[in-house]
Amino acid sequence: MTGLSELYFNIDSGYLEGLVRGFKGGILKQNDYLNLVQCETLDDLKLHLQSTDYGNFLANEPSPLTVSVIDDKLKEKLVVEFQHIRNHAVEPLSTFLDYITYSYMIDNIILLITGTLHSRPITELIPKCHPLGSFEEMEAIHIAGTPAELYNAVLVDTPLAPFFVDCISEQDLDEMNIEIIRNTLYKAYLEDFHVYCSELGGATAEVMCEILAFEADRRAFIITINSFGTELTKDDRAKLYPRCGKLHPDGLAALARADEYEQVRAVAEFYAEYKQLFDGAGNNPGDKTLEDKFFEHEVKLNVNAFMQQFHFGVFYSYVKLKEQEVRNIVWIAECVAQRHRAKIDSYIPIL
Amino acid sequence: MSGKDRIAVFPSRMAQTTMKSRLAGAQKGHSLLKKKADALTLRFRAILKKIIETKVLMGEVMKEAAFSAAQAKFVIGDFNHVVLQNVTKAQTKVRSKKDNVAGVTLPVFEHYGDGSDSYELAGLARGGQQVSKIKKNYAKAVELLVELASLQTSFITLDEVIKITNRRVNAIEYVIIPRIERTLQYIITELDEREREEFFRLKKVQGKKKAIKAIAEIKRLELKALGVDVDNPADMLKDTHEDEDLLF
Repeated sequence: MTGLSELYFNIDSGYLEGLVRGFKGGILKQNDYLNLVQCETLDDLKLHLQSTDYGNFLANEPSPLTVSVIDDKLKEKLVVEFQHIRNHAVEPLSTFLDYITYSYMIDNIILLITGTLHSRPITELIPKCHPLGSFEEMEAIHIAGTPAELYNAVLVDTPLAPFFVDCISEQDLDEMNIEIIRNTLYKAYLEDFHVYCSELGGATAEVMCEILAFEADRRAFIITINSFGTELTKDDRAKLYPRCGKLHPDGLAALARADEYEQVRAVAEFYAEYKQLFDGAGNNPGDKTLEDKFFEHEVKLNVNAFMQQFHFGVFYSYVKLKEQEVRNIVWIAECVAQRHRAKIDSYIPIL
Repeated sequence: MSGKDRIAVFPSRMAQTTMKSRLAGAQKGHSLLKKKADALTLRFRAILKKIIETKVLMGEVMKEAAFSAAQAKFVIGDFNHVVLQNVTKAQTKVRSKKDNVAGVTLPVFEHYGDGSDSYELAGLARGGQQVSKIKKNYAKAVELLVELASLQTSFITLDEVIKITNRRVNAIEYVIIPRIERTLQYIITELDEREREEFFRLKKVQGKKKAIKAIAEIKRLELKALGVDVDNPADMLKDTHEDEDLLF
């Protein structure tokens, strides 16, 4: 019952929700972005960032600043905040937060598998992993030579094991293209997360299921569009569609049959929100791309998550919004550094 | 310049003809080398112009490619390591061919694609369009780079060869030919001098012969005056002196 859960929420998670809302208050506003866009050099950018929540995070960097340094530092701040929240969390919030890290874990595992397959030393690979997605068995990856060995020896102990079990068999691991493995894992992860959120019930389920449904549908659309002209068959493609979105089952079946962009658009016509997104998108210069529209919609959903209280969705939304902010700042920094100001306004405004 | 000397040769008519033919050979060689140097310089300038064009184009292409990399990063996140870890073998390779310009072999590089695109499915779930754009941009950049590399190697090689050829042309023009000419000059002067000496000698000898003849004539006249028959030569048969037998 929603009433009761709201009453008991603050006992375990009140401090953390307050913390997250405080962090959310520090997300850059339109004003800040306008200031950043006016910068001529990266040092100007650093100066402007000092007056925001980021403070002096770049203070100890030697000049000249590079975009990759700014990128790393921005990510570091997010990681520190997330880990603080995670350390203070108890069940069920801690499992929820773990689910958030699984997507980074999937990327890390794919990176480690590819690296091990091509015999790169493990010490080279570990620093390239996303810090939010680290798990204990990471150091042990190098003992395996093939993906199948890797699975049996190492991955079976990680929290991602169930995702492997559901959809990939041992032979598949060896034969499949690494991107297909990545997308299959992600599909299993999304569906599992969706189920977990529905079980949590209440406002969390409301907010999270909507966000995850959109994520699933977005992946289905993008995979379809990007697989035109590649060696990915329609059946393989259909296996990559997460089933927890609004498109399941009819939309997904239609997408699986699609051969070109117009057909995908036709499928989107049946769903009001997606029709809107496809309408404005195009590949002409000056148009927003479809991906941009998807990003905007995602940001909108995430901001709306903060409208309700006493649910876990705020944590997920905060992480996603912060990531988008990091992407925006890095984009502006790149445009400034490369002196290519034509598209500097193509960042996604958040608040 | 150490060309003040001439070739050490014994001045004779044959040496003169030899020197003349050498001079002709040197002049022919000079004109041929000059032609070669001119052809190479022409090609050199053409390459220089092309290099400037290509470099300017390269600047733009790289800028475009870096920007598309930034765009891809915006959509996908950090995909550097995905690309790096998936590298197995080269997809674009370079072949070198030889091109001949006025006798100089220049290496020419051409690129060719080998094998299928191993990054076909990269960015499948996010940013596939950006990935294909950045693939195209960087492929173009690589092509331009290969062309630029081939132009620059030919530039350097040609430069070397032009320097060498010009050095040779100048050497022939300012050292060899003057030396041969000087030698020829020397031979001619020596021959002339010898002729003059010969002439002088002959004249002297003639003079001396004349003097001896004059003295002999005077003697003859004296003898004639004494009654000795000097007009007819002595008759050996008349002479009845018994010569002693020669015994060895």
